[in-house]
Amino acid sequence: MIFRAVEDPDLIRKARRGDVEAYNLLISRWEKRVYNYLLRIVGDREDALDLSQDVFLKAYQNLRKLDDPARFAPWLFRIAHNEAFSSFRKKRPEGETVPQSGFAGDDIPANVSPAFPIELSIAVTTALGKLQADQREAVILKIYQGFKFEEMAEILSCPVSTVKSRLYTALDVLKTQLAPAKSRGVT
Amino acid sequence: MSCSPFDLRDYLLDELAEKERRQVNQHVRSCGGCHEELERLRITHTTLLALREEEVPQRIGFVSDKVFEPSPARRVWQAFWGSSAKLGFASAAMLSAALVFFTFFRQAPASAVPADTSRIEAQVAARVGAAVEKAVAESETRQAGKTAALLAAAEQRFEGQRQADRLDMLNVEQRLAVLQKRYNVRENMVARYEPPEEMK
Repeated sequence: MIFRAVEDPDLIRKARRGDVEAYNLLISRWEKRVYNYLLRIVGDREDALDLSQDVFLKAYQNLRKLDDPARFAPWLFRIAHNEAFSSFRKKRPEGETVPQSGFAGDDIPANVSPAFPIELSIAVTTALGKLQADQREAVILKIYQGFKFEEMAEILSCPVSTVKSRLYTALDVLKTQLAPAKSRGVT
Repeated sequence: MSCSPFDLRDYLLDELAEKERRQVNQHVRSCGGCHEELERLRITHTTLLALREEEVPQRIGFVSDKVFEPSPARRVWQAFWGSSAKLGFASAAMLSAALVFFTFFRQAPASAVPADTSRIEAQVAARVGAAVEKAVAESETRQAGKTAALLAAAEQRFEGQRQADRLDMLNVEQRLAVLQKRYNVRENMVARYEPPEEMK
């Protein structure tokens, strides 16, 4: 169990009063999660880092608009989601809004030593790449970020039923890719 | 296709209540198809978690620059407007101060009557008198007109009645005259009557 001397809501209150150091401490607690979420959405490390900086800057500027400091995480990821899709709109030609491939991890760097075999990471990356962007985002928010369905609905601005539908369709696709059914002999 | 009493994906993602989880556990132990389906979902979930999070290549942070920081006065101002409790307390304090001020420092109402009050009163009385007179005159005129109209109507009505009575009288006189004439004729006839010989 991790005991934190100062909880996030306290840091948020201090940051609202102009305490930049408190906000930097808050960033240090969330930057890895936000960066990895954006990395898995946009598929590029440099873009993910730039977007992460934009996210935290925008969050700082709008911190006073956060009604309930206890809801900081979904609020922050809502900003990250908007930033990611805003960058897609800027980069992509008109009509093409969300990339269907180009998932992060396509270019796994040589200096990263994965805890799992490299083949497994590639298999997961390939399987995630086969999903639609909204399904993939649902998987990222649930499996990797551990959000509840209500929080996901808040981040994605859609009903819980839609979130569940996207996630469960994605799980079915991933299951086919990553855990194919055992072939049964025909007698 | 799973025949589990609850969605196995809900089970996998820990979205079921304890009682529901127990039911799924019991079902999976006896159903080979659902057991395999749950195993596949578990493998999928575990495999997905093989993709570990990466470290941020560069720390994100903001530099505290005095140029961009709000001034102490502005911080106090922002903190004041940002706190509804402080704002409420300040409002209550201002209201209390206003009440105290008006209780102790309010000027007594002026007792001395201004010098030109009598003149104003005379003017007002004159205006009121003129207005009353005018109103009375108008009212009298209206009443006189109404009375005259009522009298004329009554007179007309009585005149009509009188005419009708006079006509009735004339009729009666004429009928009386006719009766008188008939009577006279009958009297003459009676006077001249001579009974026949055989009746004598």
